[in-house]
Amino acid sequence: MWEYFLRRLLLTIPTFLGATLVVFVIIQLAPGGPLEQQIMALRMAMGGEAVGGGVAGQTGAMIPESALEELRRYYGFDKPILIRYLTWLGVWPREIESYVATPGRIRNIGEGRQVLVEKTSEGYRLTDPQTGQPLTGWHIEPQRNERGEERVRIYRTGFSGILTGNFGTSYTYNEPVMHLIMQRLPVSLQFGLIGFILSYSICIYLGIQKALAHGTPFDLISSTLVFIGYSIPGWALGAFLLMLFGTQTFIELFPLGGFQSENYAELSLLEKILDRAWHFVLPTIAYTVGSFASLTVLMKNSLLENLSQDYIRTAFAKGLSEKRVIWLHALRNSIIPIAANIGYIIGLFLAGSYLIELVFNIDGVGKLSIEAVFARDYPIVFGFTVLAVLVRLFGAILSDLTLALVDPRIRFK
Amino acid sequence: MAPRLLEWRTRSTPPQESAEQPVVSVSVLQRRWRKFKSLKRGYYSLLLLLSAYALSFFLPLLVTNKALVVRYEGRWYFPAVKSWLVSLPLVGGLFGTDFYSGEFFGQRGNSGECNYRLLKQQYESEGRGNFVLLAPYPYSPIEDVTVEGNIAFLPPLEQDPNGFIRLLGTDDRGRDVFARMAYGFQISLSFALILALLEYLIGVPIGAALGFFGGRFDILAQRLIEIWATVPFLFLVIIVASIVRPNFILLLLLLALFTWVGITVLIRAEFYREKAKDYVAAALSIGVPRWKIMFKHILPNALVPIITYFPFSVVAGIGALVSLDFLGFGLPPPTPSWGEMMSVGLQHLATGKWWLMLSPMMALFITLTLIVFIGESVREAFDPRTFSRLR
Repeated sequence: MWEYFLRRLLLTIPTFLGATLVVFVIIQLAPGGPLEQQIMALRMAMGGEAVGGGVAGQTGAMIPESALEELRRYYGFDKPILIRYLTWLGVWPREIESYVATPGRIRNIGEGRQVLVEKTSEGYRLTDPQTGQPLTGWHIEPQRNERGEERVRIYRTGFSGILTGNFGTSYTYNEPVMHLIMQRLPVSLQFGLIGFILSYSICIYLGIQKALAHGTPFDLISSTLVFIGYSIPGWALGAFLLMLFGTQTFIELFPLGGFQSENYAELSLLEKILDRAWHFVLPTIAYTVGSFASLTVLMKNSLLENLSQDYIRTAFAKGLSEKRVIWLHALRNSIIPIAANIGYIIGLFLAGSYLIELVFNIDGVGKLSIEAVFARDYPIVFGFTVLAVLVRLFGAILSDLTLALVDPRIRFK
Repeated sequence: MAPRLLEWRTRSTPPQESAEQPVVSVSVLQRRWRKFKSLKRGYYSLLLLLSAYALSFFLPLLVTNKALVVRYEGRWYFPAVKSWLVSLPLVGGLFGTDFYSGEFFGQRGNSGECNYRLLKQQYESEGRGNFVLLAPYPYSPIEDVTVEGNIAFLPPLEQDPNGFIRLLGTDDRGRDVFARMAYGFQISLSFALILALLEYLIGVPIGAALGFFGGRFDILAQRLIEIWATVPFLFLVIIVASIVRPNFILLLLLLALFTWVGITVLIRAEFYREKAKDYVAAALSIGVPRWKIMFKHILPNALVPIITYFPFSVVAGIGALVSLDFLGFGLPPPTPSWGEMMSVGLQHLATGKWWLMLSPMMALFITLTLIVFIGESVREAFDPRTFSRLR
């Protein structure tokens, strides 16, 4: 079995590469995407009239020049798309530092380092002015500035991309994307996990009750409710609940979004917990409803199917109590398909909640990335997409693993 | 309690089926259709939804600010009918323009589009034999505050400055919420239906080929499909839509590009099962071409997933469109759309403009629930198993 999972793990690599390639190519080639916005913004910066205007022009102009420079270096727009993708992945060298220096003068290159470019007979030489040692690993490119004076551009290449953990720098926050995502991940995780646990526990219980009461009014009514829940997108239900319980119009029971109160820091521990819970109720319902219907119906059908098997008849025939038959014999087998769904559902909770976070104004990863779409902050957008792909991939493996754990009959080959 | 359980179990095996079996033989599809009709919830949902959708094609005559009939100085005019004809695709150009200025009908000082509601009041007070027959609900989804008498944020069932009652109030630009909701229904459902058909157009042939030919081709394609299914498609569509600003067709294509995978997987499994059966081997042995076997012999036998998946695909389509519209990356404004109405509603929630949120929300909930009821009944009718299940 472990061989199987090792193979599964290895197979995620091509899938990951393929999925990120699809995302990368589609976004890069979309007309008016990062590449064209970049060109347009550069044209505007060079003093031309606002070319074409359009959507890209309106917001593209807000990106600062230094950020554009960073963006261009990060994506390497002058190269073919496959190279750009490999660079973005971090398996193709990219420029990681670039400075313009005057030959013969010491240039500070940050973090207290200094370099000195000297002109020699066979070209340029780069040394550390403090030790006098020549520096290696730098490329030197002669150029002239606007007054025609001699300058050199020195740059260093290296491997830096999503595989080395470099997702680029957001230009709305001016911070590394990785850092931003990590900052907000705990918030999203709290909602995701609570929603996940709640929906699993409620759905299993409800599914059992529905299976036992199959065909009764309770079953029919709860089925109707479950179907209604299935049809409604979670974020829409969230907005609806906000309207009902978040404003003074109807009943003001819960806050109008947010993660915690403004005076959260001043509260005592108990009040803190209550405050969190108070903010959690509506979003959690919205999170839960998405997977609620399919899980409940799956549980119900699975139990029903098992209850009509011969081994249940045998168990009843040898005089076991109904409780024992249902909870020990039937339920253990019925849980299997539910367990197999676990990875998929976890994926939904971790990466599929950007709309709910937006509706409830929760500062999680989802809201961060959807706002990045509005702000055209591509490093964050790419970062979130990679995260979503990873969550889905590992969700699938988790599903298989759980299935193998709960069902001893399954032997993966 | 044990006997009750056992009793239930025997009930769930279908004894009534044989009792109801008519003497004349009926085809499988007829039997399924009868079964579907016997499931009242789904059957009435289907009737309701179909009639609402059929009715929605007459919206340009039912919910419009253009008058149905104008009689002016002894001549008859039909602005709403004309505007409907002009809006038809392809042949619309043959009917010229649907524009009548206010002055044309004697509305003084209005050289823009005639305001038929005011025209009606004017004719009635003049009493010169001219008259106007307005549509049953005389407001259009995209007329905003620039039209005289429209004000923003009019609550439901209150009078606007001209004394007209607005059923569900007006939105932030003075547009009529009921009219937008009604047109939004037509657009959402049409969009989702076309999207589902497109998905099928791509997904069914691919799934059929994978299941039928199998082998290395199948293994390779399966990997590609896995990649395609791993891409977070709605988020990607949101990104692309935020860049390119799609129209109706482009948005359809964009979504179809990612959603065809669902039906492909189902069709592949069905073809895989079917191709092992004897009738396929028989057809092969007498030299029937493969494409003919696939689409004439196997496909009719693979109808179950095709039909039962359809309603759920429509639900997903409406959900995707509403999500995109909600973010402002869907159909271009001022297209009446539920998602756009919800996003306006959410913005003005804190200030108590509840009707902006309630109306599109109820429309969405009811529509989607009807479709899910239909889908669930279709599945039950097509599925020999006796208990209901969602996809």
